[in-house]
Amino acid sequence: MGGLLQSAHWPFLIDVYFFLGGLAGGAFVIATAALIVDSVRYRDVSRVGYYLALVALVPCPVILIVDLGVPVRFMNMVMTFNPRSPMSMGAWALLGFSAAAFLAALLTLLEDLGKARNLSRPKTVIGVVGGFLGFFLAAYPGVLLGATARPLWINAHTLGALFLAVGASSGAAAMALVLAALSRRSGDGIARLATTTVLAVVIQLVAMIGFVWSVRASGSAPALNALALITSGPYSMLFWGGAIVAGSVLPILLGLVGLMRPSVGLTAVTSVLVLVGGFLVKTLIMAAGQV
Amino acid sequence: MARTLAMFTDTSLCIGCRACQVACKQWNELGLELPEWTGTYQNHTHFTDKTFRLVRFIEEPKPSGDLAWLLMSDVCKHCADAGCLNACPTGAIYRTQFGTVNINQDVCNGCRYCVSACPFGVVSFNENTGTAKKCTFCNDRIHNGLGPACAKACPTESIQFGFRDELVGRAQKRVETLKAMGFKDAQLYGADSSGFLGGLNAFFLLLSKPSTYGLPENPKLPQKNIFVDSLLSIGSALLVGIGALVAFRQRGTGGEA
Ligand code: SF4
Ligand code: SF4
Repeated sequence: MGGLLQSAHWPFLIDVYFFLGGLAGGAFVIATAALIVDSVRYRDVSRVGYYLALVALVPCPVILIVDLGVPVRFMNMVMTFNPRSPMSMGAWALLGFSAAAFLAALLTLLEDLGKARNLSRPKTVIGVVGGFLGFFLAAYPGVLLGATARPLWINAHTLGALFLAVGASSGAAAMALVLAALSRRSGDGIARLATTTVLAVVIQLVAMIGFVWSVRASGSAPALNALALITSGPYSMLFWGGAIVAGSVLPILLGLVGLMRPSVGLTAVTSVLVLVGGFLVKTLIMAAGQV
Repeated sequence: MARTLAMFTDTSLCIGCRACQVACKQWNELGLELPEWTGTYQNHTHFTDKTFRLVRFIEEPKPSGDLAWLLMSDVCKHCADAGCLNACPTGAIYRTQFGTVNINQDVCNGCRYCVSACPFGVVSFNENTGTAKKCTFCNDRIHNGLGPACAKACPTESIQFGFRDELVGRAQKRVETLKAMGFKDAQLYGADSSGFLGGLNAFFLLLSKPSTYGLPENPKLPQKNIFVDSLLSIGSALLVGIGALVAFRQRGTGGEA
């Protein structure tokens, strides 16, 4: 597709990293939003979000290190600070966000173990600072792809926005799923998470339209060929059926139904659809961009 | 910084002997690769971790129905604005005092970002060393007053090595001469330092439009996208953040906690 261009051929594991990093960032930000609005009422939401962010982060550095050509040199990523390289900035964001996610989960654990009464103040500080880093972690892979010479990516301008929205939707969906599994009845928190998920999926859909539109508008033949892999070629079933219909449109419709008649079962199903859809979005863009 | 060194590849003089490709392999001790069928005499289709100079063989249909045989000895362009150098997260890729772009093999950790970031498909990944490889402009030779091996080996002076400003002047004269001889599409590629990528330190004289050779007509520095893409990401972040706050603040949905 790229003529004489070459490709890094980042493997499937990197898609998994992009997904988990985005989910962690999204969950962390949403946990912080819940904490800020009402730390008592949404205690469970923020707890689940902070724990989830840390758990999702654990495989991330491992994936990044094993993917390197010379894994023992992974520390070289944080020996320099290069603002022109989204990968350099991403390495720093991962480091900073990991620290924030660890602290937030630790404070939550202290509360849960009864070692401390109310840590919502330090949690809010960590939540806000870490929230910026979490957003960064969710978005930077998209910006990173846009800053390559790969035709599909260099001609798209909403990949960062799209990856961020996927991070938010998958973070909210994963939180709702965990809460649903824990409580099995529709609490206030689950309903709010369901609403957040739908809002994020709407933004995700808009960014996806922006992606297709900007690649089309570029008129670049190799970019259009790569796009066709997704929209009409071998990946089109997964794209239209999985990422768009089942992963975006259906969750929005189900979410609207849920607004009127909240149900845990419905939220759980919607969340699974959103998680699968978000994963497909990232994976298909990675696959089509690297051919 | 010392005066910028450059290579000027005049494709009108190339006879496709591949002396440059061989000299590069030998001097830089690049390993064996089996040839492959590419449809022409060209081997290989792409730059590889063991092929830093690559003579391209292109057949272009002429209006008369004949084929024009275009030859081009391709190489890393050592761009003034280099996508690979910007992309590198470890600082392994650096610019020398001569203006050339190198990969420090002791620092590269094999992330392969540069492979996707080069607008010309130059950087290649070496599975054995786990690092990224490309033409060094024969860094060891030019630091010892010798020209790059490819330029030294070229029997027709199709590859010329020297100070960039001098070479550009020579190249411009050569285009005029060729045009006067009837090569109406003769043109320089990458000579203009106010043009794309800040100018290429390995620039070319082509006999047809760049796309005929598979070269991008107007290559763009990939990192130019970062600003707009980041702004759109911030917009998305604002919407998500506000959306989450509103979702948690609104009254009356769901049961009570
Ligand atoms: S041609 Fe590619 S590898 Fe060479 S300096 Fe330019 S961006 Fe880097
Ligand atoms: S593969 Fe090596 S040279 Fe290329 S960007 Fe990564 S660290 Fe830098």
